[in-house]
Amino acid sequence: MIVRLTGAYLAIFSVVLFALSIGAYALVATEYHSLLLPALSTPEGQATYALELHRLILIIIGLDVPLLVVVGLASAILAHISIRPLMLAREQERSFVADAAHELRSPLATIATVAQAARNGVTDAQLRDSLDLIARTALDAGALIGDLLTLAREPNRALLAPEPIDLAVIAHRCASEFEARAREAGIVLTVETQPAIVDGDERRLREVVRNLLDNALRHARSRIALTCSATESSACLSVVDDGAGISPQERAHIFERFVANRKTGGSGLGLSIARWVAQAHGGTLTVEGRTTNGAAFELAIPLFVD
Amino acid sequence: MRILIVEDTQPIVTAVRSMLESRKFAVDVAGDGETGLDYLLRGTYDAAIVDIGLPRRDGFDVALRVRAAGIQTPILMLTARDAVEDRVRGLDVGADDYLVKPFAEQELIARLNALLRRAPYPISSVLEAGLLRIDLLARSARFDGVDIVLGTTEFRVLELLVRNANIAFSRSDLLERIWDYDFDGSPNIVDVYISQLRRKLKEAGAHDIIATVWGVGYKLIA
Repeated sequence: MIVRLTGAYLAIFSVVLFALSIGAYALVATEYHSLLLPALSTPEGQATYALELHRLILIIIGLDVPLLVVVGLASAILAHISIRPLMLAREQERSFVADAAHELRSPLATIATVAQAARNGVTDAQLRDSLDLIARTALDAGALIGDLLTLAREPNRALLAPEPIDLAVIAHRCASEFEARAREAGIVLTVETQPAIVDGDERRLREVVRNLLDNALRHARSRIALTCSATESSACLSVVDDGAGISPQERAHIFERFVANRKTGGSGLGLSIARWVAQAHGGTLTVEGRTTNGAAFELAIPLFVD
Repeated sequence: MRILIVEDTQPIVTAVRSMLESRKFAVDVAGDGETGLDYLLRGTYDAAIVDIGLPRRDGFDVALRVRAAGIQTPILMLTARDAVEDRVRGLDVGADDYLVKPFAEQELIARLNALLRRAPYPISSVLEAGLLRIDLLARSARFDGVDIVLGTTEFRVLELLVRNANIAFSRSDLLERIWDYDFDGSPNIVDVYISQLRRKLKEAGAHDIIATVWGVGYKLIA
């Protein structure tokens, strides 16, 4: 960052210096020319004039080079001074997020672990259900904390652990996780893919596909189509359901936090997280404008370039 | 199977212990990093569950020292932090897997079983093929003394090729062994990784040591 800023400062100064130097040269050359006009009619006069102009160029270069070095150093110092507080703030933010996650999750971990262990030894069905509920709630709250802390940060590639991965494989694997749930709900889940290799964070991309499938399962009437394809520069994954559709008003806010349709039981963060992950990958997550015939979500992220 | 739990939160220790004991695991407990390290250095455990935030010595340091001592006990890190940096650091210091708190019992047991099923590392953790040298515990690779920085999957591909130097692997072999694809996954991903590996090896001075075997796939020439 500091190097880039130094380069930018130096580039701006170099352009200004170059323009000034050209101006100075043009001015002096014009002045010389009008002053020396009588002498320029002789060959000796012309040769002397050309020599003087060469000297002038050398003088200008001789002045510019050290000036650029000095300005380069000054730019580096200036860049350091202006960037340092930002870097410190970013580091403080990172450490706050990590500390907050730790402080919030630790008590939940105790609740969830103790409730799960306690339920194992209990024979009373009602008590078992209560302990299950405590554990599940603590686990859900833990996941929610993770989602909120993710959304609290700007989508950024630095927050991912990317490596080349076939988005089609992620699509198939996620679909297989949802097969049983779809069957139970009487929904046909079809998967159609072609290879689409992206430089992606597998854990995060799975999260996106799971969230889209989870959302579709809560809205579909009888059918969900999951497809993955590749264009010249992007990998596209789409999830289309045949549910009630999304009104234009809903569509405008569907990716906002806690706006998802609560009636169908979502946490309200799944689609926000999905869009965050798409953006962190340098891509987009969009929803197609169907109002009465289901919804179509499309994830598009850049293909891997070697 | 004997499992060591290194954790300082007593209610979690008691709960995890009962989860493991109900599945017939023998369990020992260390309440701080220093004691956990002492126990692990004895090398008598089949696996260890190590919390990161521990008194006296944190979980990262415990894993680092255990690996530095050549102990290969699989380590499952427990962490209440799930930032990429923390996960990567955990794996870099030698942990085999991580689990974010709070966790579901089934997930803890599934991950522990996966670690226990994994084939033990050989006595020597270093594999060599010509001037190429890879360390399985440190997860590092060098060619003629020059470090090669590899991603997790790149390392696994290289490890497979080094273990089977001079043997050709088809793309589908590699897909099955490295990516565990259970459907007709794209062989292009193999070409992507081979191309990345070739570039990184070339930068370290290893030219053409991964050869294309026409009609078959790839092999590492030692």
